[in-house]
Amino acid sequence: MSCPDGSCFEPQKRIRALIMLGLMMLVFIMLSAFSFVSQHKQVTPDQVSFDKHQATDGKRVFQAYNCMGCHTVVGNGAYFAPDLTKEYANAGPAWITAFLGAAATWPTEGAVKSMLLMPHIAADSGVKTIEEYYAKYPGAKERVERRGGKPTYMPNLLFNGDEIPQLVAFMKYTSAMDTEGWPPEVKVKDLDKRIALAQGGHSAPLRSGSKPAAADASTAGAATAGGDIAERGKTISASLGCVACHAPGTTKLVGPGWGKLHGAQVKLADGSTVTADDAYLIESILKPNEKIVEGFPPSVMPPYEAIVSPDDAKAIVEYIKTLN
Amino acid sequence: MKIEYQTQRLSMRFFMLMLFLFVLQIIFGMIVGLQQVDPNLLVGKLNFNVARTEHINLGLLWILTGFIGTILFVGPALSRRELAHPWLIHVLFYALIAAVLWNVYAQGLAMKGVAGWWGGQAWFQEGLEYIEGGRIFDIVALIGFGILGFVLLRTFPSMKEWNEIHWGLAIGVVALAVVWLFGLFYVSRLDLQEYFRWFVVHYWVEGVWEVIHISLIGFLLVKMFDADVKSVGYAVFWGVILVWLSGLIGNAHHYFWIGTPEFWQFWGSLFSAFEPLPLIFCFWHIYLDAHQNNKPLKNAPAFYFMVGSVVLEQVGAGILGFTMTFALTNVWSHGTWITPAHGHLALFGTFGMLVIGAAYYAVPLLRGATDFDQRLGKLAFWLLFLGISGMALAFAWGGTVQMYVYRTLGLEWFGGDVFPALDAYKIFVPLFGFVTAIGCGVLVYDLVTIGRIGGRKQPEIVNRRKAQPTRGWSRPFSGFEAGIWLVLMWIFGFVITFGILSFNLSQVRIEGNPTVPYTMAAIGYPGLLLVTALFVWRFLASLESRIENTESK
Repeated sequence: MSCPDGSCFEPQKRIRALIMLGLMMLVFIMLSAFSFVSQHKQVTPDQVSFDKHQATDGKRVFQAYNCMGCHTVVGNGAYFAPDLTKEYANAGPAWITAFLGAAATWPTEGAVKSMLLMPHIAADSGVKTIEEYYAKYPGAKERVERRGGKPTYMPNLLFNGDEIPQLVAFMKYTSAMDTEGWPPEVKVKDLDKRIALAQGGHSAPLRSGSKPAAADASTAGAATAGGDIAERGKTISASLGCVACHAPGTTKLVGPGWGKLHGAQVKLADGSTVTADDAYLIESILKPNEKIVEGFPPSVMPPYEAIVSPDDAKAIVEYIKTLN
Repeated sequence: MKIEYQTQRLSMRFFMLMLFLFVLQIIFGMIVGLQQVDPNLLVGKLNFNVARTEHINLGLLWILTGFIGTILFVGPALSRRELAHPWLIHVLFYALIAAVLWNVYAQGLAMKGVAGWWGGQAWFQEGLEYIEGGRIFDIVALIGFGILGFVLLRTFPSMKEWNEIHWGLAIGVVALAVVWLFGLFYVSRLDLQEYFRWFVVHYWVEGVWEVIHISLIGFLLVKMFDADVKSVGYAVFWGVILVWLSGLIGNAHHYFWIGTPEFWQFWGSLFSAFEPLPLIFCFWHIYLDAHQNNKPLKNAPAFYFMVGSVVLEQVGAGILGFTMTFALTNVWSHGTWITPAHGHLALFGTFGMLVIGAAYYAVPLLRGATDFDQRLGKLAFWLLFLGISGMALAFAWGGTVQMYVYRTLGLEWFGGDVFPALDAYKIFVPLFGFVTAIGCGVLVYDLVTIGRIGGRKQPEIVNRRKAQPTRGWSRPFSGFEAGIWLVLMWIFGFVITFGILSFNLSQVRIEGNPTVPYTMAAIGYPGLLLVTALFVWRFLASLESRIENTESK
């Protein structure tokens, strides 16, 4: 076995093996060089931006929060949470922005709509209405319909500054990458069939929440118009996804908590102080960037005047009053 | 055998530190396992990503600590003189503790998104799987590798006197530092970053650690069985060369879907198919070398863990790695639980068991405990072996369901349909994790107390059975039988491989019928793990009976 009589030319064999190894190293280096030279077309992060944010910055945010410690990207990471490579192509910038602002809750249709009100998000998604958005980003539609408003398993990470749009830019970059056909294309087309198969081949599809969980704000309002106005405000705020950022207590989430807010003295970023009365709260819903509360960055909350009527805003304020 | 060189005693503190870090790693592992079942556990206090990072980093660090301990123990014996510059080893020890503590703390900063960016580098933590440590940690680690390499090379005799084990260890410790360099730079392109990240991860594990592993196993075989140095040297040389011939381009199996060109799929599939060869080769050699003479097996736990190391290397790294190394199977298994099934068995199995075995060899000698009670060590082995195998099975079955629901059906994860589909398998991860944790507890208790508490001795019962003829389950082991076991393992390995391959069938992919892959996974994984456990049992039984019979003469 181990060449006891020394007749098996062991030293020559060893030298040949080492030469072979050298050749293989050469092959590997050449393949590597060819992979990253400019002839090979692959998108690079400096070519991709979202609004004024660069994918290169987004990658740093992605690493700083150790996103790979739960998620995977190009399939590498922790297998605890979804792969994010094609997330942008699947759910689009409005859904991702709505989600990351308050990750502990699945965005409702109202929340996605309100993100589409932001000009840079609308411009980046290339659509105007929510219907067009759903057609272009089918993942957003499925998620809103099946899970909108429900709790997620992702913790609220309280991103600061521009981190959310930077992450969107990074995901836009990974979506644009050519990953050689991975993840494999899904060839079982019908969603109901797929869900039934996943649940062990039940013939009747058990689609949880197949009725849109996020009923449109105005419909929800109309349904309970005769009822308690504060109760109506509660329903509207839930369907719009307000509660994802505003806690019912005094806790600061993404925005200020609603508890003990009505009638309180609020210090603004410009140093002045106002009383949080009905008029102030309604203005803060419809045009939130008019008065910014101290300690909160501007332009985080979109203006809701396009999708919330003054009556609905009043109902929400009535609901806020009950939280005192 | 006595301790000839006083500096060998320096290894003791590293073995004890290794045990402490192992316990820490298991604690984080239990948390991660329970978070798989209930993702809301400890949310906001210790998020999954941080707990998992600690689990991985501590896993690598305790194995490295064990490597250092083993190399310090082996170095003087190999060189027939005291370690050079022992004060540097004291520095290394405290630097290691400081680096570990800092890294455990710094990884927690990920919850606030603090990476410590300065000069284009992340100095505190960088959120890249397996190499999460920031530059501060990286540089301290690099200095540590430097110290280890320097001390070892200064201790070795002149190069003319080196045999293959010297060469293996020398190349191993130098390469440890060289490969580490590729993880020291921030790369903004995701594809290029993943390319270099695998330089560190793949070439460490499949290149450098494997070389150290082969050399240390070789040396311990020489010491424990008086195996022929020439024969072991032959095995070490060809083991190392085969590892590199297959693993060098085999690294391409990490370059399938990360944004690199398609031609890597060809190279990666082809060469990584050869990667099990050196493992089969080593497996065969440990069989041959351990059976070269009838020397009684004095230290059973040490040998148990070494057999565990070589067998799980074969099964976890070799076979489970093989099943998912082809572009056509990897396209399904990539980014699923199939990977941790392989990862747990391969990393803990191969390297963890090796350093535990080395500790079992060194600690009784260092404490002068010639006749210690070996039962606890054997119990710890079986608990750890079964615990890690059970976890691998849970991951593998869960991963099979995941490939179907996540990839074939394209359904979504949390709140979607993948998460509930895995429910039945998730629970087994912390459950078998608990078995592993108990094994770890027994191991730590035993290694800490060996030779210390009232001289626990081998019970007499071992010698009372000596008159029994060796037949049946503990009859002598033949090469033919070892071959049969190996073939059986590979048959189940092929069942698993074809099971993953069957996700490409139109029956599965278009009609959505998972019967074929599910059936093959249901047969393949438990079959493989059962054969493995039986083989280990059989192998050890034959050795045990040999002890009894040798002693009876």
